[in-house]
Amino acid sequence: MTLELLLIVAFGGAFLTYFLGKISPKLRNSFAVINALALVVMTACLYGQTVEKTLHFGFLGMPFVLRINMLSWFFAITIVGIGLLSIIYSLKYIENEKRLDYYYFTTLFINASMLGTIICGDLVSFFIFWEMMSWSTYLLISYKGGDKALFAGIKYIIMSIIGSLAMLIGIISLYTHFGTLEISTLAVQIQGASLNYILFILIMFSAAFIIINAFWPLHTWLPDAHAEAVSPFSSILSAVLVRKGMYGLYLFMYMILGLNILNKLKFGFISFTGVFCWIGAITIVFAALTALLQNDSKRILAWSTVGQGGYMILGVAFATTLGMAGGTFHILNHCIYIGLLFFVAGAIEYRTGGIRDLDSLGGLIKKMPITFIGGLVGILGLIGMPLTNGFVSKWLIYKTLILGNRPFLAFAAFLGTWGTILYGYKFIHNIFLGQLPEKYKDIKEVPFTMRLPIIILTVLVFLFGILPGIPLKMINIIGVSLGFESLNVSLGGITSDSGTLNTINIFAGILVAGIIIWLIFKAGRKAPKVNQYDSYAAGAAIPKGKYHYTVNFYNPLERMITPYLKDFVDAFYIKITEWIQNLCNSVRRVYTGYVSNYVMYIVLFLAFLIFVQLKWSLW
Amino acid sequence: MSISNGVNIWEIILSPLIALIIGIFFLGLARKIIARIHWRYGPPITQPVIDIIRMFSQKGISHGFIFDIGIILSLTGSFIVILFLPLGKMCPLSSGGLLAILYLMLLAPLGIALSSGEAANPNSSIGISRKFLLALGYEVPLLLILLAVMTHYNTISLIEIVRIQSTTGWSFGSLPLLLSGIAYFLILPAILGIRPFEVVGAAQEISSGPNAEFGGKFLAFSTIQHALHEFIGISLFVNLFLGGWGLFGILEPITNTVWSVIFGIIIFFIKMLIVFIVELFINAVFPRFRIEQAVRYLWKWPTLFAFIGLIVVVVVK
Repeated sequence: MTLELLLIVAFGGAFLTYFLGKISPKLRNSFAVINALALVVMTACLYGQTVEKTLHFGFLGMPFVLRINMLSWFFAITIVGIGLLSIIYSLKYIENEKRLDYYYFTTLFINASMLGTIICGDLVSFFIFWEMMSWSTYLLISYKGGDKALFAGIKYIIMSIIGSLAMLIGIISLYTHFGTLEISTLAVQIQGASLNYILFILIMFSAAFIIINAFWPLHTWLPDAHAEAVSPFSSILSAVLVRKGMYGLYLFMYMILGLNILNKLKFGFISFTGVFCWIGAITIVFAALTALLQNDSKRILAWSTVGQGGYMILGVAFATTLGMAGGTFHILNHCIYIGLLFFVAGAIEYRTGGIRDLDSLGGLIKKMPITFIGGLVGILGLIGMPLTNGFVSKWLIYKTLILGNRPFLAFAAFLGTWGTILYGYKFIHNIFLGQLPEKYKDIKEVPFTMRLPIIILTVLVFLFGILPGIPLKMINIIGVSLGFESLNVSLGGITSDSGTLNTINIFAGILVAGIIIWLIFKAGRKAPKVNQYDSYAAGAAIPKGKYHYTVNFYNPLERMITPYLKDFVDAFYIKITEWIQNLCNSVRRVYTGYVSNYVMYIVLFLAFLIFVQLKWSLW
Repeated sequence: MSISNGVNIWEIILSPLIALIIGIFFLGLARKIIARIHWRYGPPITQPVIDIIRMFSQKGISHGFIFDIGIILSLTGSFIVILFLPLGKMCPLSSGGLLAILYLMLLAPLGIALSSGEAANPNSSIGISRKFLLALGYEVPLLLILLAVMTHYNTISLIEIVRIQSTTGWSFGSLPLLLSGIAYFLILPAILGIRPFEVVGAAQEISSGPNAEFGGKFLAFSTIQHALHEFIGISLFVNLFLGGWGLFGILEPITNTVWSVIFGIIIFFIKMLIVFIVELFINAVFPRFRIEQAVRYLWKWPTLFAFIGLIVVVVVK
């Protein structure tokens, strides 16, 4: 009953929130929070259960299967967790916007349909939930209105539909072949299918999942969509919704097909997983370098979302025990720190009146210290600094690649990280450090409901970085259930023959060294604190509000790499859409919509037929 | 004396101290040698020690909380890296191997960057921007080099790499890793931040860059961090390519004794000294690159060598 109840609460709560909003906005807000909280509690209670049940009222007379296992639980908890934080964050962030009932309804509805995709056990309901998710996402991307937001929404929905259609073809083909769409039955029956057929199915489904995951070359929808959506929703979008694609890949590559078949999909040098690895590598490098060129706080984060996806697929597609653990862990880690970073970018927007331009901010650390710490920790996690969660997962992925003799893939992954440092520091520096512009001197820290999600996620980044054993134990169970070997996981890391990792050790070392150095620092002569205008300017007066180096922060590099970084894929797609538009326009000249024109066409055609008959008497 | 999981307390205390002494000695030596090349007499070799003590007792200014924390973080980062680097036969911490070292090496520049960023001085910010650009410049070949070494020895543990070299000979002398070794040598000036790559702390252009707002104890810390950074850059080279403590097996007869540890450190120090002096000669005769020239150079020859080196390693395997 619990699984049905979960879905009922999720969907029912969304609709109820909408109607409560018509009565009183306060009631609606508190109900939305309670509903999201209830989902978290219910999902948490499902930990460790493996249930599969069939209900016989599904679509088209097919059974509706619900199931949960460790893998679905793992994704479910990230969805409801980020969902709850995002709703709490929205309370203040969004309060002055219009159509709030609609906003809360859509947010909760997206969460519910995402939950649906991962706890259903047959492909029909999977597809239906998937479509609900895609469409409601479209509505929320364009929520703010305006040309840019609408364009981003359209771009997203077109690519999403193409993916869904590919998936639909795959589902129909599976049904005609095997006569069932239940995942557990399919997993058994497909083992006997021919390799070519499996490859076809896999490509059809992968297309959908690669698009939603925004891997190169199908990434072009993501930067626009993430930048234009409202910040709490950007968090959901980037942290969990995009990673539904990863869930889909797990589902197809490992749950349905299994390792055996996957390893057989090889044609000479080229293997299916190898292609995925290279897609991941290109995605990482391309996204990291493109993010460097961005000047918009949310666009930087959007591109980093694209890039981090590459790490996940590198780990997961490599299909070894360590790689799988690294990839899966990275999904969780990414969810935590990118959620955090979008909240931080949103907080800046909230207080500065919607400023996202990195060239016109600065010095906000003095006014918004909590937000600064959140941003810094998020960026550290993104880079993968030791003691943050990102380090452990990236360490696992690198190690897999090096010991698996793929140094060039590892190089791409490393290079992405070093790019991340550059744009990560730019994000921190241009927003928080440097000189505070005069117009922001009365800014305050964001309200408590916006601080709370930032604080929670900040703590999580460190918690999973210092004690990675907590999530790794869970990930280990997932790995074993997908047919991998068990890992030797301890609270502070991983022990294996080819090298161990113990983050508690590193933490203790940094803590002790830090304290000693801090004591020495204290022993030195006290340094009085001075204001921001008391700095060195070679004897000249400090120009207020202009003594800040932010514009074109990495100018020499930008000049060097810009010519090579044209997003030709995006340009290509836009060319195609233009071409189709022109085609449709020319068709429209014929189909004018005036009855008289159509009558003329008919008369002309008849005249043509009569002419033919009179001349050559064919009939 | 050791605590539970085989971590030796003496090593933890001694290895940062030795590194600190060597690093500061190198700073003094550098000034002396450069002066002699310029036909000057030069300051005494203990000048950096005198400077650090003097600066520590002088008054500085603080620009805020992160300004203090950043400089502490950067020094902490440097000391932590040293705990992970084998110094002769001493290596107090090893978990995570070379990958952990690579990441811990980021803490120090990040700390300096946060501290200088908080200073609200464009000179510092430009310096930091250059620092990261230069880092991206040399990390590209450096990562290729490290990957070549790790792939060749099929391990991510630096201790293991040094140990294998003591039986099979230095990496620099082995054919597959020769090109990688040359590439590392070419980028070493950039890692150390000396001419021709002295773009970050360019005194005449951007008022010493990140150091512009540091005074008093901040400058003292920054100088110590610089000394440790020199130590780390050269130590990594010696460990990876020059066999660490190994020298034609002369430590074989006394292996597993305290003397082998002491002589290990001495051999290690001599190797570092030779590398450092060669780098100083390069430093003394070259003018400074502009930042884009530096990045272009780093992405051209060293990267080419490192790339071919990696291909050679993969093919040989």
